[in-house]
Amino acid sequence: MNWERVQLIFARELRDQMRDRRTMFTIAVLPLLLYPIMGMLMLQISQFHRENPVRIDVVGMEHWPSALPFIENNKIAKGLLTDNEIDLIHIESLSDSEVGATPDNKPKVAPELSRDHATLLVDRARNRVHQGACDLVLIVDPKIEERLEEKRDPDAADRPMSLSDSTSGILTLVGNRANDRSMVADRRLRTAIDQWQRVWISQRLSEASLNPKLVQPLAIAEIDVAPAATRSALVWSKLLPFVMLVWALTGAFYPAVDLCAGEKERGTLETLLSSPALRREIVWGKLLTVMCFSVTTALLNLFSMQLTASLVMNQFMRLGSEQMIESLGPLPFSSIGWLVIMLLPISALFSALAMAVAALARSSKEGQYYLMPLLLVGMPLVMLPMLPGVTLSVGTSIVPVTGAVLLSRSLIEGQYQEALVHLPFVVAVTAMACLLAIRWAVRQFESETVMFRENERFDISTWLKQVWRDRGATASVSEAVLCGMIILVALFFGRMMVSEPTISWTSIAKSTVIIQLGLILAPCLIMATMLTRSLGKAFRLGVPKVSDLAFCVLLAVCLHPSYVVLASWVQSEYSIGAETKALLLQFDAELSKVPLWSVILFLAVIPALCEELAFRGFIFGGLLRQNGVLRAILVSSLFFGMSHGVLQQTITATLMGIIIGVIAWRSGGVACGIAFHITHNSLSMWLARAAKQPDGIPDWCSWAFQAVDGGWDYSASWSTFSILLGIVGFAWFFARERNATCYVGERGGKPLSSSQC
Amino acid sequence: MTILEVSQLTKTYPDMAKGEYVALGGISFSAKPGEVFGLLGPNGAGKTTALRILSTVLRPTSGTVRINGFDVVTHPGEVRQSIGFVSNNTAIYDRMSAWEMVEYFGRLYGIEKDQLHERMELLFEELQMQEIRDVAGAKMSTGMKQKTSIARALIHDPPVLVFDEASIGLDVMVARKLLDIVAKLRDDGKCIIFSTHIMREVERLCDRVAIMHRGMILAEGSLSDLSERFGQRDFEELFFELLSHHDRQHGIEAA
Repeated sequence: MNWERVQLIFARELRDQMRDRRTMFTIAVLPLLLYPIMGMLMLQISQFHRENPVRIDVVGMEHWPSALPFIENNKIAKGLLTDNEIDLIHIESLSDSEVGATPDNKPKVAPELSRDHATLLVDRARNRVHQGACDLVLIVDPKIEERLEEKRDPDAADRPMSLSDSTSGILTLVGNRANDRSMVADRRLRTAIDQWQRVWISQRLSEASLNPKLVQPLAIAEIDVAPAATRSALVWSKLLPFVMLVWALTGAFYPAVDLCAGEKERGTLETLLSSPALRREIVWGKLLTVMCFSVTTALLNLFSMQLTASLVMNQFMRLGSEQMIESLGPLPFSSIGWLVIMLLPISALFSALAMAVAALARSSKEGQYYLMPLLLVGMPLVMLPMLPGVTLSVGTSIVPVTGAVLLSRSLIEGQYQEALVHLPFVVAVTAMACLLAIRWAVRQFESETVMFRENERFDISTWLKQVWRDRGATASVSEAVLCGMIILVALFFGRMMVSEPTISWTSIAKSTVIIQLGLILAPCLIMATMLTRSLGKAFRLGVPKVSDLAFCVLLAVCLHPSYVVLASWVQSEYSIGAETKALLLQFDAELSKVPLWSVILFLAVIPALCEELAFRGFIFGGLLRQNGVLRAILVSSLFFGMSHGVLQQTITATLMGIIIGVIAWRSGGVACGIAFHITHNSLSMWLARAAKQPDGIPDWCSWAFQAVDGGWDYSASWSTFSILLGIVGFAWFFARERNATCYVGERGGKPLSSSQC
Repeated sequence: MTILEVSQLTKTYPDMAKGEYVALGGISFSAKPGEVFGLLGPNGAGKTTALRILSTVLRPTSGTVRINGFDVVTHPGEVRQSIGFVSNNTAIYDRMSAWEMVEYFGRLYGIEKDQLHERMELLFEELQMQEIRDVAGAKMSTGMKQKTSIARALIHDPPVLVFDEASIGLDVMVARKLLDIVAKLRDDGKCIIFSTHIMREVERLCDRVAIMHRGMILAEGSLSDLSERFGQRDFEELFFELLSHHDRQHGIEAA
């Protein structure tokens, strides 16, 4: 690759984008305007809450106990609120009859004799609030003094709540929750009422010769070990990466669409493709441009947000709301440094993804449609770290993007040691993801069908005819992926439907058969019958060598101890909830009641057969096309893993899927995988049962086992030795000559020589 | 001495309706330096596909193409250094001036800066492009754009030049100018592949011509050869007869 050319292309694309007003607006101007506008809005809102005068109508104030007034001279009594707040509340004292009068002096609600006076008052007050005559109505019970007295009666506490208390309060607030002014009025009035109550209670306590502080006997002193920086980091370190990465993706997407689909549309892409620049150089040049914009957008947003936040918070500080400043204060600059470091690789990843997706589009308009799917893939990864309780661990650090975000959060919070431990995982995963995305983008540019796609008119019947006419010996790649998706969706809904409230052996057996035959095997069978020419080839049903079969059985035995170790590690890393644990115990108990052979038949043999035929047969065969060995192994094992539903099983099953995938590839058929799978499942079932019984392990295999408290486990020596055996066996199987019976059909089912498969 | 050799070139695309669409059904031709070779054919004859393979942006399904001694499949880089490609599919950048555009491609061809500017001054003078030097692509007329494209294709002084439907959308004055430029390039010893569906251009310009239809070459030779062989002096008539004869033979209703 000629880096001088990459640099040339990069410089040109960058200049070109800078000359584009639309791009510059989204990338540079928008973020600089967005946050100040948002900040202004926030200040406006707080100002509204602070300074907006409200009008409150009060009915029956004349009954209020005169000893401790609530309203004086049509204002809230001094001391209940700050003077400023008192001035903002306009009180209108109304007599009972006035409330009933609508602005045009016509009673809206006809007074009915049967209705109780209080209900009538409320109805009328409701009308006044509705009509906007006031923001809130406070109705005071005429018997307020009486009812307050009642509260002082020590015997009253033992009596059931008096009837009047449960049906109507002493005070009734009639307001409109959908109206901001009404809410502000409500909040201010409640503050005043609370203050009045406090004074009233302390007066009563003093009367009874008790210390007024009695109501709050426990004084709490608070010491927070989190340094001030961390406190403000708490909110920002969750929010900022999210906002920044959303912008990194958006900032990558628009230039990517313009540089790929837009150039196709304008015809300049072919000019560039016919120049001496290699496709790889073109992709790198464009990628660097896209990345440049992605990073710039994210940084400008970060900068603008930070600036606005500090200014707005300054404003709040002058008004004095300590708590808000503490949790939302601007982020220290060292933290921003960590964010920027995290931004670079992730924006590289997003840029490459955006490029690859945008290359598919024929026009900018078509390109815009691809933003949503891209966001659907990207956003969950960015949002995951925002969930409460998600912290940096080995499990989360190997999730692309999520790991990097969590790592940067640890760094912001100053937990350097934790960050250092997980750094290698994050770096490895991020680098891997970046490389794959870039490779995908380069492939897109190298593909004629992607670069020179013509607008084909699509209609269902021609398409169906084409699918039928062009069906091959095996499924196509997209058919295989579709089949995997169908299985996963079917399992998602199917599992919910077949699950029964009580666990019994019959229900377990029944649901296993339904899931395996109906939801995993059936979709493949249907697709294979309709979309391929030969079931045998589609499911890769070659006749295996007996030696191969025997070898796979032995390999499964040798790898089983390692699997047990792996599974227990996964369980400790991603702990299972207590509910699931209880369910599993119940499940085990049911299994121990039935004979071993039926457990093995239903839970080992049937699943192994169905899963192998589906994942290493039909789907694997489809994915194997066009030399996609790596794709076949990885994608089929991912589908296989995800079909297990539970996260812990998904992880272990995916890893097992890779091993069986390699076996399926090297042996050229599905049979060896079935042998391996059945052996593996049966061993697990047998061991689970044997572990419960003191004499569960027969003497002749005692060399491999040791007694642990209340059961059996693989002995340390056999565990170690079996790993070695497994690796050697696996390596031998991997390295040996590929089996000639290899079923890979290109379109039309032309036979291929073994070197091609 | 041939500088360009196409033999048994085929190209097929997957197609929804027919399963496989044969864009090129095995065509062969060759061209020498100092010669204008015309590819004449109606729309959809496969001219653009053939020329895109020549320019290495498409890969052949089978057959070989050698340009200046290099194979398009094994040595695409060298092939691209040896040809200049002007087509109505190769547009110029909207947000770049003529000078910047030509300079950019010159740099991509790896020409040293001093040498490049010298060559650009020469080209801009020859193609009378001095007045559009600093005009952005978006503001150019079709003729100006075409000139910029030609300058872009000539910047590395390639021995082979490919013009694919290059006169589409040009007015009479500019089209004539284009033909003059092509004629001058031929006189300078370049090998020129000129695809068009306009008879007049072929008559004015081409030393030899291949008539293409439905991915096949129906006839090939110099204009006088062809009129002698088919006993038809009017070339347009000859072209039409050849095409309809081919369609009748293959039982296709002429569109």
